[in-house]
Amino acid sequence: MKTIFNFRNPEKSIATKLVIAIGLLMIIVSFIFWYAILKKQEKDIRSIAVKYGGSFVNFTKDSIHHSLLTFQREETQRVLETLATPEGVRRVRIYNHEGTILFCSHKQSVGQIIDKNSVACKGCHVEPAKSPALLQTPQIWSVYKDKGATHLKIVGAIPNGPDCYTASCHAHPKEQNTLGFVEADLSLAFLDEALFKQGLALTAYVVIFVIAVSVFLGIIIYKIVSRPVRDLVSGMEEVAGGNLDYSVSIKSADEMGVLAQTFNSMIKDLKAARDQSEKFTQTLEAEVARKTEEIQKTHTNLMQTEKLASLGRMAAGVAHEINNPLTGVVTFAYLLKKRFPPNSLESEDLNVIIEQAERCSKIIKNLLTFARATPSEKGKVSINDILSRTIFMVQNQEKFHHIKFNINLETFQFIIVGDPSQFQQIFLNMFINAADAMNGRGNIFVSTRRMTENNKAYVEIEFTDEGSGIKEEDMPKLFEPFFTTKPVGKGTGLGLSVSHGIVKHLGGYIKVQSAVGKGTSFFVRLPLAEEGK
Amino acid sequence: MKKILVIDDEAIVRTSCERALGPEGYEVKTVASGREGVDLLRKESFGLVLLDLKMPDMDGIEVLNLINTNWPNTKVVMVTGYSTVETAVQALRLGAYNFIEKPFTPDTLVAAVKEVFENSGDIKKD
Repeated sequence: MKTIFNFRNPEKSIATKLVIAIGLLMIIVSFIFWYAILKKQEKDIRSIAVKYGGSFVNFTKDSIHHSLLTFQREETQRVLETLATPEGVRRVRIYNHEGTILFCSHKQSVGQIIDKNSVACKGCHVEPAKSPALLQTPQIWSVYKDKGATHLKIVGAIPNGPDCYTASCHAHPKEQNTLGFVEADLSLAFLDEALFKQGLALTAYVVIFVIAVSVFLGIIIYKIVSRPVRDLVSGMEEVAGGNLDYSVSIKSADEMGVLAQTFNSMIKDLKAARDQSEKFTQTLEAEVARKTEEIQKTHTNLMQTEKLASLGRMAAGVAHEINNPLTGVVTFAYLLKKRFPPNSLESEDLNVIIEQAERCSKIIKNLLTFARATPSEKGKVSINDILSRTIFMVQNQEKFHHIKFNINLETFQFIIVGDPSQFQQIFLNMFINAADAMNGRGNIFVSTRRMTENNKAYVEIEFTDEGSGIKEEDMPKLFEPFFTTKPVGKGTGLGLSVSHGIVKHLGGYIKVQSAVGKGTSFFVRLPLAEEGK
Repeated sequence: MKKILVIDDEAIVRTSCERALGPEGYEVKTVASGREGVDLLRKESFGLVLLDLKMPDMDGIEVLNLINTNWPNTKVVMVTGYSTVETAVQALRLGAYNFIEKPFTPDTLVAAVKEVFENSGDIKKD
């Protein structure tokens, strides 16, 4: 990602590359222009020089016309020397058609013959040394370099005129077209200097232009490319680091803006996805915790059930064996008792033995019932019937003489599959507990109702008393075997645990609500076999 | 004839029965197993058998069946330390006259035995 724009190595950035590329292009283009302009300048200046050179040649011709006509050779020589005085004029000379120098500002050259390849010959003739053939367009000047300086050599023909062939000297016949040539050798140093200055100025302009454009370009690129890219990269780094609340603030309407917008919406989506995933994880964790708790609970229940089952098996074995010696104890205590007069101290003591033995027997009976939580006689039974019968049965007992039964049974015949004696045992146990909790005085409320739980129909039998209630700390132990709050000798601590075992075996459960000092409600819920009419 | 046979594998139960019923004028004989009891029933006749339900070699129900078949005039009262509605109902269905639970008091035993002999003329219950 960082290769898009490398801040650590700016020379590798797009901006730098772009600036260098465009800069190079500009330098090349500028150089071409620079070169073209310079060449044009040179050409222009040269044509001006040629024009002035031509004027100079004409001026020379005019200056010497008279001295030549009057055949004053010294005068002619003197004029030429005078004309060559200015700095820009290097040499002025006159030669005839054959190339013999007649006059020259440098006097020692007079009499010499000029080179056939010189501009004076080649300017008009195609091949000066071989034939008199002429060029279509004569080129009567040439620019050449000598010792680093530029010079212009320009030639002008001296045409024959009436005053020439009619002159008294008769030097030239009338037929002769050209009498000779004036050749001026002029220095173009000023041209060199001007071109050099022009070139220098142009180079400076080009450099300034390239630099300015590059800087301007750099700034533009930085503003519209580099900075947004840098912002995007830092945004990406933030997001990669986990900060999904970040958003890139690029407001431009160009591609960068669109990119930033897309990036921002991507972060938003990412955040939404992450939030959802986090939420899902949390839900999952909660679910796992709940399941774990459920499993632990089930495990505890299972342990408890297993504990109870093994306890039951052991109890059954022990109980059966203990009944035999108990028979002996009871029998012999009775026999012994008969030997003493009634109400004697011995008789009373033996009564204690008999009572305690019978208590043992009662405990054992309960233990055996507890061990045998499975129903012995399964059948369809009506809960209302059994409840009514049990209430009728207990109402006649002394223990319940001061207790009022408030019965509110549904008219439905709740039908349950099970052993009627077991249900009777559960209900009886509920009533005994209620009576004990109220010390034999108060109201017992009994009611039945239909209810549905997890799509299963249940009958709920409620037993509510106005007794002392159950302490919070006793609640978890309520259904444990041998747990009792009754005074020693009164309860075995098996009633509720036996009831619980039976109800659970039938697929139901017992719920308890209690307020200390106000009373307790037991809700026995049993699954219905079918609904009676 | 007030002869009673006690079949119980527990010595203390046998002794208890002897001691409780003896003074009441019953002739009590005891054996420790069902097999011995059946052997004795072949030799002597008894008006009543006090039969333990659970014994090692021959089960009480088995002995009850034998007595019902071979000695229909002999009544059987089941003595059980494992009393449940289920076993009691089963015993009565199989022809036991009554049943008493362990541990019993001499009074309960005597009353149950008395009832048998007082109603000995009755038609045996089904």
